[in-house]
Amino acid sequence: MMRAWPHWMRSGRVITGLIIIAAILVCAVFAPWLAPHDPNEQNLLAALAPPAWLEGGDPAFPLGTDSLGRCVLSRLLYGARVAMTVAVLASLGAMVIGAVLSYLAGYFGGYADALIGRAVDVWMSFPPVILSLILMVGLGTGLRNVVLAIVLVDWTRFCRVLRGEVLVVARKDYVAAARLLGFSHWRTITREIVPGSLPLLITLISLEMGIAVIVEAILSFVGLSVSAQTPAWGQMIADARQSIHDAPWNLLFPILMIFIAVFGFNMLGDGLRRTLDVRLTATERA
Amino acid sequence: MVTTIVPLIGRRLLISIVILLIVSALLFIVLHVLPVDPAAMSMPPTATTAEIDAKRREMGLDLPLSRQYLIWLSHILRGDFGTSIHFRRGVLSLIATTLPATIELAVLSMIVASLIGIVGGLLLFHVRGKPGEHVLDLGSIVLLSIPEFLWALFFILLFGVALHLLPFTGRLDPDLRLPSITGFLLVDALVAGRGDIFRSAVQHMILPCLALGLAFSPTIMRVLRSSLMDVYQDDYIHQARLRGLSERRILTHHALKNAILPTVSLMGVQFGFLFGGTLLVELIFSYPGLGNLMVDAVRNADLPIIQAVGLTYCAVVLIVNTAVDTLYLVLNPKLRIR
Repeated sequence: MMRAWPHWMRSGRVITGLIIIAAILVCAVFAPWLAPHDPNEQNLLAALAPPAWLEGGDPAFPLGTDSLGRCVLSRLLYGARVAMTVAVLASLGAMVIGAVLSYLAGYFGGYADALIGRAVDVWMSFPPVILSLILMVGLGTGLRNVVLAIVLVDWTRFCRVLRGEVLVVARKDYVAAARLLGFSHWRTITREIVPGSLPLLITLISLEMGIAVIVEAILSFVGLSVSAQTPAWGQMIADARQSIHDAPWNLLFPILMIFIAVFGFNMLGDGLRRTLDVRLTATERA
Repeated sequence: MVTTIVPLIGRRLLISIVILLIVSALLFIVLHVLPVDPAAMSMPPTATTAEIDAKRREMGLDLPLSRQYLIWLSHILRGDFGTSIHFRRGVLSLIATTLPATIELAVLSMIVASLIGIVGGLLLFHVRGKPGEHVLDLGSIVLLSIPEFLWALFFILLFGVALHLLPFTGRLDPDLRLPSITGFLLVDALVAGRGDIFRSAVQHMILPCLALGLAFSPTIMRVLRSSLMDVYQDDYIHQARLRGLSERRILTHHALKNAILPTVSLMGVQFGFLFGGTLLVELIFSYPGLGNLMVDAVRNADLPIIQAVGLTYCAVVLIVNTAVDTLYLVLNPKLRIR
């Protein structure tokens, strides 16, 4: 593992991805200091102001204002908090459930494998957007429930891919050797099998973070994510749609932010996949 | 050939039915632990607690959850999907009027996605090892990073608001009317011989289909490229070269036949995602399909619709996956043995 470090850090894609994500993380963490205004402060007299460089723009609002006169730049910066929180927590949660189940399925095989495999089949028959909407109806809105809904929908992404990998690794000689040496199941899985599938796991997490950003944006666009007092990119899009003819730029900025964030995670994921030499076809990335 | 395939397909069908039953139970459980009270919602605000309790008994909400589920299931099997709390109409008729619109959108979008995906995949394969490789590969990651709803919003900005080239709300110009025969607008327009309606419907579908098609094409591209690369490692390609066949003929007559298989099975999975993706595209383009019905139902906590529409989405996905598996069996002789 120590020698893998400089190797994958040399990849241009990994570095690009990391820089983009780091920049958005900085925006999220330091939003209170970076934002020129309170994201919820309304200036009804300055509503729908264009970005500062356009005619009629106000330098006090660098990216203009929305229909309630709230500063678009400040809302974008604060919106990064929701996006990044969901990206990190939801992908870790989905990874934990998906990984544990696929280790159980791949290592023990038999009934465990059949049961977990069928569960994945059931989940796969739900289009992810539909399942997350239904879960949000059942769970109720709020940041915690958004994370929970994404975890409950997306654990299958990890399970589907990892299970096959674990099946292969679990039948390797060194795993049999570990068992013959008297290693417990727990020790065999954690010491012998998990390290072998780590590159795949890391790659999947970075791709999942991009997906989580999209799903959160979708849910807040529909109005099923965080409360209206918390700025979120999807919410900004929904607001901007109401005044699309008067202020098209208001729609453009959150779209751009979502794209940049997802692009960053995808670049990182793709770079990791190549440099860590993970066998991962696009089928499994879907 | 038929004798070996039929039992396999039958088995697949049986599994799909079992999955659908499990899905229906899961849906029921998730939607019945939520805090809203459908009985209170269907009554006027002036109703007394006693009246609401009576309504709860009438709706069967006082029974244990398992009993409620079995009652609901038996109704569904008889074609009774219940009545919408918000629209006060039969859920089945609401679904029947919206489902064709969504299927029409999804099928056309899938065709667009496949076309862009296959052309893009061939292009990505063609530039392997050449200077353009990195640029195109980067392009495919950019495409992969733009989900359908961002494309939809972007297209509205570009073609609808800035350029005024294409309509972006609904399925038809408001002054056009067509009695529904099949519910599939393009088919209905052709049957009625109404060229103007067909034209308007096509114009209304261009942006939604492009948004969905572009969002779901990069995965197809990348799978086609990687399976072509795998296939080109095989001996028979080398053999074909030694026989002096042109590169074009090797691609079309030998490589593509084998490389297309993983792509077909991927398209089945992709259709499931795409079918769910129609929800947002419908919402953004005010396209009167299943997705808008679902969003309305979610906003009104209209349980009978949410349950039925959720089940409909799953049923369509399962039917399509079964069909794709069948196609896969027919296309791949290796899987027929057993």
